[in-house]
Amino acid sequence: MPTPSPARVHECTVVKNEPIAQDIFALRIGSPELARMLEPGQFVDIAVPGNAMSLLRIPLSFAEADAEAGTIDIWYAVVGDGTERLSRMEPGATTTVLGPGGHGWTIPEGCRRALLVAGGIGVPPILCLARELARRNIPYTVCIGAASADRLVGEAEFEAAGSPVISIATDDGSAGYHGFCTAAAEQVLEVEGGEFDYVATCGPEPMMAKVAAAAERAGVTCEASLERMMSCGFGACATCAVETKSGMKGACMCGPVFDAKEVVW
Amino acid sequence: MSSVSMAVDFAGIQLKNPINTASGTFGFGWQFQNFFDVSRLGAITTKGCAAEPWPGNPKPRMTEVRGGMMNSVGLQNPGVRGMVAESGEFLADLASKGTAVICQVAGHSTAEYVVALELFEELCPWAAAFELNVSCPNIDQGGAAAGSTPEGAAEVMRACRPITKRPLLVKMAPVRLPEIARALEAEGADGLTVINSIPGMAIDVHTRRSKVSKPTGGLSGPLLHPIAVRMVWEVAQAVDIPICGVGGVTSGEDAAEFILAGASAVSVGMASFPEPDAAVRILGELEAWAESQGVRDINELIGAFEC
Repeated sequence: MPTPSPARVHECTVVKNEPIAQDIFALRIGSPELARMLEPGQFVDIAVPGNAMSLLRIPLSFAEADAEAGTIDIWYAVVGDGTERLSRMEPGATTTVLGPGGHGWTIPEGCRRALLVAGGIGVPPILCLARELARRNIPYTVCIGAASADRLVGEAEFEAAGSPVISIATDDGSAGYHGFCTAAAEQVLEVEGGEFDYVATCGPEPMMAKVAAAAERAGVTCEASLERMMSCGFGACATCAVETKSGMKGACMCGPVFDAKEVVW
Repeated sequence: MSSVSMAVDFAGIQLKNPINTASGTFGFGWQFQNFFDVSRLGAITTKGCAAEPWPGNPKPRMTEVRGGMMNSVGLQNPGVRGMVAESGEFLADLASKGTAVICQVAGHSTAEYVVALELFEELCPWAAAFELNVSCPNIDQGGAAAGSTPEGAAEVMRACRPITKRPLLVKMAPVRLPEIARALEAEGADGLTVINSIPGMAIDVHTRRSKVSKPTGGLSGPLLHPIAVRMVWEVAQAVDIPICGVGGVTSGEDAAEFILAGASAVSVGMASFPEPDAAVRILGELEAWAESQGVRDINELIGAFEC
């Protein structure tokens, strides 16, 4: 039998839950056992109480799992009823969180330099990876994209994680380059592709597809963190399928981080 | 320890309790083993498998709706051989612990059901029963589900009946239930699983597209519970073969409604997604309810609805 998910249902308490940008909140939950188990790029599946008509958990990536403090930092966009209710949870509120979910980033052995490309609410798992790279003393370059300046997150945190070169792009030009962050990523890979051993990306799928193609042209290993509607989060429902070159694979068990070359974009 | 005997006979299968799991919501059982001891359940029904693997539908395959969810998985499955290779050992062990393993059979035509069931019969000696999912789009029926007409359902049952002596169940589409149930009973079905998901639509009004990859999807969850209870009650009056009630069970009381309406067994479906050990909680609640009714045996409550 294949290995079942290591996920369990853990109790958790809201430590803080504050807006950090337009429609984006930073949630810190206390869940010591889960915080110790999580690896960068995995996900957690949180139950949001308050609506008996809404049953499913919400799968979310995280920006940091602090094993010592027993806390998990989740940045999420308010996009519907579930995340709207989540944004109203006050410090001290309790719920349950299912995890750890899936498998995270695989930094290649002997990696000398990494290129990280994050768009919109794709920033948190990339930030989590950046912190891991910093711990391993692997330098990296970050390209962040957002719809507009007021929806841009992570700049200060990436800097705090180890002075990477930051390129910022916004769709409306209100911060950084006017355009998509893929332009900067493509240029970096074209000009200095040989300096990188690893590209990691998370954001809208068309963005990740462009980054994956640029990495392939430059001959650099690329991983992408994908998002899917998910019913269970532990390999039982087959709703979170990702089309890959070797068939349909569940994002919850085979992802959310995939080898970008394997994904049928 | 409860004073109520929870064992039931369902289609000739002796279940230690009436709680089963709905196919497609419980994988092949082992996905739940880390959350609770699956052998506490009376039965599990595995994901529908066909003779050959099916890739399933493109994304998106699921959208949450008020009171439930709508899926368009398209019966992605590893095929009978793949299922046996991957999960056979776990399922054989589960069966040896007294939990009935019901294997769901999928097919696009009568011939495909026959080939799949022959494989199940040969490769799954541990299976307690087989459940024919006659809600798959059927090429013999011009793309409609075989189970949507008495003739179509009867044809599949007639072709499959000689293949196995083990109980044959049918997962019924939520249409023309009493007449299709009678047709299936006449062809030798041992039991009926009532109901499959109800076709629904969810449209993203901004993009004008379906929220799943097909125009329609299958609704499940508490939103359809009262409909499923009514359908179980109607089928119970139409046939003498036993029924497993399925549809939006999230509590012992929901399960009790199915029992009172005439079901001998009850499946827990999407409740297992957000709460992986929901089935065992519901079992405890069902037992407490039976006790509160002052009976010594849950069988006294099957069909005990008073009208």
